[in-house]
Amino acid sequence: MKRVIEVEELTRVEGHGRIEVVIEGTEVKDVKMAIFEGPRFFEAFIESVHYEKVPDIMRRICAICTASHSLASIRTIENAFDVKVTEQTKILRDLLIHGEMIESHALHVFMLALPDFLGFSDAIRMASKYPKEVKAALQLKHAGNMVHNIVSGREVHGMNERVGGFSKVPSEKELKDIRTAMVATKPTAELAVKLFAEAEIPNYAESENTLMALDPGEKFGFMGDYVLVSDGARHPVQDYLSLTNERTVKHSHAKFSSYKGSSYMVGALPRILLNKDKLEGTAAELYNEHKDLLTSKNTLMNNLAQAIELVHSVDRCIEDIDILLSNGLKDEGLVEVEPKASRGVGAVEAPRGILYHDYIFDENGCIVKANVITPTAQNAANMEKDYRVAAERMIKEPDEKLVEAFEIIARAYDPCISCSVHLTRIR
Amino acid sequence: MAESEKPKIGIFSLTGCGGDQLMILNMEPVLLELLSRFDIKDFQEGSSYKEEGELDIALVEGSVSTKTDLERLKEIRERSKMLIAIGDCAISGCVQAMRNGQMSMAERMKKVYGVDEDYYDVLEPKGLSSYVKVDLEIPGCPIEKDEILHAITSLLHGDMPEGIDYPVCVECKLNGYPCVLVEKGMPCLGPLITAGCNARCPGLGLDCIGCRGPIPEEANVAAEVKVLLEKGYDEKYIFNRLRFFGGNFEDVQNLTKKFSEKTEKEEEE
Repeated sequence: MKRVIEVEELTRVEGHGRIEVVIEGTEVKDVKMAIFEGPRFFEAFIESVHYEKVPDIMRRICAICTASHSLASIRTIENAFDVKVTEQTKILRDLLIHGEMIESHALHVFMLALPDFLGFSDAIRMASKYPKEVKAALQLKHAGNMVHNIVSGREVHGMNERVGGFSKVPSEKELKDIRTAMVATKPTAELAVKLFAEAEIPNYAESENTLMALDPGEKFGFMGDYVLVSDGARHPVQDYLSLTNERTVKHSHAKFSSYKGSSYMVGALPRILLNKDKLEGTAAELYNEHKDLLTSKNTLMNNLAQAIELVHSVDRCIEDIDILLSNGLKDEGLVEVEPKASRGVGAVEAPRGILYHDYIFDENGCIVKANVITPTAQNAANMEKDYRVAAERMIKEPDEKLVEAFEIIARAYDPCISCSVHLTRIR
Repeated sequence: MAESEKPKIGIFSLTGCGGDQLMILNMEPVLLELLSRFDIKDFQEGSSYKEEGELDIALVEGSVSTKTDLERLKEIRERSKMLIAIGDCAISGCVQAMRNGQMSMAERMKKVYGVDEDYYDVLEPKGLSSYVKVDLEIPGCPIEKDEILHAITSLLHGDMPEGIDYPVCVECKLNGYPCVLVEKGMPCLGPLITAGCNARCPGLGLDCIGCRGPIPEEANVAAEVKVLLEKGYDEKYIFNRLRFFGGNFEDVQNLTKKFSEKTEKEEEE
């Protein structure tokens, strides 16, 4: 007997995706996650565009991780043209990406994932029983967006971070306002950890996973030039093609990735597990308290890992602001850039995992070829693996139980589907 | 207000970055209050609750980039009394329309996926009004929170909000910012672009890249091209620039076409 179990359209995720699992008798025959968000062809239309405005276009791949795309794009261009930026620029960029993590994780953890575990169809309905918690979550998200607004120019598709620095340096008062908001909202980040640690997180997708995350250097963070793999390997980001091995599949507008022939996971759980020794302060304490839950086998724990990152990011924003204020803010202008015929690769940890940009430039600094590999595209094959594992384990359960499980698994990855649909390979 | 008396609303997205829905979610301090005024029947990104049937208002973001998008749009139009396009993607196709009339869909498929055109059901990206009647358009990439809030509250009071028909330069002058085009020679598109952003980019010392789109039927593209040529920018640079958010605008397409015909002729000679 053939059973087709379908999640027609994933909800409470960014973008449009569908899951289809075919069971024949006692065997799971086929598992497909179809991403039917329309493709947008960024890598095709960015050709011939002058480098200076490339980040302004490329960040529009995604709204929720707009600064991750813009910073990946900027780092790629700066790598291609050997641009060295100032210490102040580095700290402001660090502040920006930590702010983005707060905005994105607060939305996902409280508004998109948590309703599953508290039994609601959305956060608005959840607010009828948990008004205080939902309001606090919105304040936390707002604090993250303050960073976007003040450092980048607006919440979505800002413009103030440029190749070579920042066009306008934030004022002391603006930074102090962010600091105040972060201090006020830290308990909400800690509440997120508590809620997910106490929630009954299902284990139906438990299986072996290969993990990948950027090596952030000395401290836990979201930018780096090397990729760490859970098998112990460490590669420069320039090796990304051999780490991701993308292929086009008929059923999805997103390409699928593999590492050494099998799927792998990127995102908060891989970051926390591969860089746990670099966590500090409250985030380190919370990790130690819950480390038994945080195993590489249960990808659903990505929610808890995101909650720990929320705490880390709030603390880091405060720390970055303290350093900026004690150094004194300087209106430095942008570093001079000399374009040349060259290639650059750059990566950042977007909220959902490693994001690679790769550009080839002509001698005038215009794009000849571009390639972008997003975290959700990298996770797609691993998500299919998890649906298969869950379907095999729950094969005797009714369809609606499986549908619910698939949706919860998908949401744990916090997929960003808009991001995932425009990929190419430099040949 | 009883649930049954509230206006029924649906929030939908076609092809885009999801940024216009996100701007609604970004109205954190007023979000719960605002949403409580409506009976939300469909909001894929924010809720797993879904209900069929007639809608008073449909907010739609994203461009029509696939046949699936087009089918969805027609369904939404059919069930909605009022259809509002939010953001540039839904108005003009935004950045993904940058190469419209310049690069075929077959070429885009080959370049990005290495497959033939019919591998996926793609269409050349266009705004909603190319296919269905649109009752109101709210521009921006992304939309401005104040503008959408104003539009929604106006509609709640039974008024039709008015659009903006003057350029970014007006807001730039009102703020007293130095003109980055005249004084610094930066390639600012402010004179062509619909205001409503409070001249955010010039306020940060940057040139306007046009993310709210050209002012409908008002923008003088040829004059802007002339100014930028005088400032020393070459035609390829200028047309790429105009196309970032203007790929589907007739003036931009016609001028680009003239330019590429000229370049081809020069290359032949």
